[in-house]
Amino acid sequence: MFETTRYEASRRVRGTAILTIAISLYAAFIVWYFTILEGVDYEAVFESMPPAMIEAFGIEALATIGGFLGTQIYNFVWLLGLGLYFAYAAGGLIAGDIEHERMDLLLSFPVSRSRLLVEKTLSLLLPLVTLNVVVGAVIYVLVQAIGESIDPMYLVLAHALSIPYLLVCIAIGVVLSVLVDRAAIAERAAIGLIFVLFLVESVVGGASEFEWIQYVSPTYYYDPTPILIDGSYELLDTGVLLVAFVVLLLVGQVLFQRRDI
Amino acid sequence: MATIEVTDLTKNYGSVLGVDSVSFSVEQGEIFGFLGPNGAGKTTTIRTLLGLLAPTDGTATVLGADVRDDGEFIDAKRRIGYLPAQLGFNEEVTGEQVLDYHASVKGDRRREELLEIFTPPVERPIREFSTGNERMLGIVQAFMHDPELVIMDEPTAGLDPLKQEEFNEFVRGERERGTTIFFSSHVLSEVRRVCDRVGILRNGELVGLEDIETLLDQGGKRVQVETTDDLESSLPALDGVVDVNSFADGVQFIYTGEYNTLLRELASHDIREIEISEPPLEDVFMHYYGDDESTRANQEVESNV
Repeated sequence: MFETTRYEASRRVRGTAILTIAISLYAAFIVWYFTILEGVDYEAVFESMPPAMIEAFGIEALATIGGFLGTQIYNFVWLLGLGLYFAYAAGGLIAGDIEHERMDLLLSFPVSRSRLLVEKTLSLLLPLVTLNVVVGAVIYVLVQAIGESIDPMYLVLAHALSIPYLLVCIAIGVVLSVLVDRAAIAERAAIGLIFVLFLVESVVGGASEFEWIQYVSPTYYYDPTPILIDGSYELLDTGVLLVAFVVLLLVGQVLFQRRDI
Repeated sequence: MATIEVTDLTKNYGSVLGVDSVSFSVEQGEIFGFLGPNGAGKTTTIRTLLGLLAPTDGTATVLGADVRDDGEFIDAKRRIGYLPAQLGFNEEVTGEQVLDYHASVKGDRRREELLEIFTPPVERPIREFSTGNERMLGIVQAFMHDPELVIMDEPTAGLDPLKQEEFNEFVRGERERGTTIFFSSHVLSEVRRVCDRVGILRNGELVGLEDIETLLDQGGKRVQVETTDDLESSLPALDGVVDVNSFADGVQFIYTGEYNTLLRELASHDIREIEISEPPLEDVFMHYYGDDESTRANQEVESNV
């Protein structure tokens, strides 16, 4: 069981390590930056920003460490950066193997197509879990180190609830990956789609007439800043994300089952 | 039941017809060669047999399993080895890692034994492999779980002549062990040396299904001769001379008759240069399996050589 997951995950070890270190360094920079920003009048900063921008990057309560991290790290790196990264990585999962004609051999294995797809998708759990656990721990330690305090439960929640969101990004990439024959196209399409969904949610959020459009975007269902400030979240949102993940993955399965390689 | 049973198999790629109503069967323990020029539909047939392509029409069973049924086919796949035309192993992993992965999925009872015959540098990353090394790694993975049936698409492409010969020897040994082997090739001489039976595919259609002896008799030789006197005018008198083409200093033809007769005739001329060789595959097809579009295809084959 899970031979393909193990093999694919082993190929991701290096990339995962590099990404984890890079994001940890970025987090360290942000935490340090918070210490030198103490005393800035944030009310004035808010007033100078367009409401759409505040909405887009969840800029609220910048004066607290929770709010600051939420804006500078979680909205920026988790919601947008990692969303794009996982959609991109998933976009290459199947299309890359088809493009390089590796899929011929993989499908000669005594393994069903659906299991192969699931196993390959599962290999992305390595970076997904590692990033959340390691960077989460690093941030907690750093916050302690500058003499601030953040509820560890809030931090755990912010990370845990990002997983269903990132799974949806992965599933979007997977669907695109089984649809096309070239990795570069699937990867770019996945990145483009996640970015558009992110923008749509941010921009339309304010306009009441088209408010419904924001519900299409997975970014609507994961909002890390309130979690970090006071631990508030909607379990329903997480449910929506998990259902979307399963549905998209099933769509990917059906498409992969039926296609010629 | 036959190891491979193909009935009226058709694969239509929308605008292009891949294979058209092909039927044949491969019996257990047989080495079956699938012969045809590039683009004849060999790869399409093979990929359909492995369930990669869904047939537009017709059926195929491999080791008793319907290739259209992903679930049913899984058990049969345990007993199949496959060497695709393009291997496409991940570039950054080593040969060892590739084999470990394949072993974890399907087993590797014969790995060491095979690595003694075929010698890819398994400790190096695939990116540093030559085409021949990659092919040898492909051969190892195809046979290492000791399958009942091995399907290979142009197995010797990229192998140097010495390794090709070792491969042919190996394949003959596999027949002794009872393995059924199905492989495609566009090289007649290779197929002749190892196969029991041959299916000939051309423009997506199976144009011949022959015992190897029959094919050997029909193949003929290509003769190129340069003479100081006129040979061409005496050629029509000889039995088995076909496809005569004259060029600057001499003449070329395919000879399918009795060798001594030809040699006696040649001995009566003043020969400056002579070459007797295997005819290109297309020439064989042209004379024995009909002649549409063959001139163009012939030129393609020549340019490949």
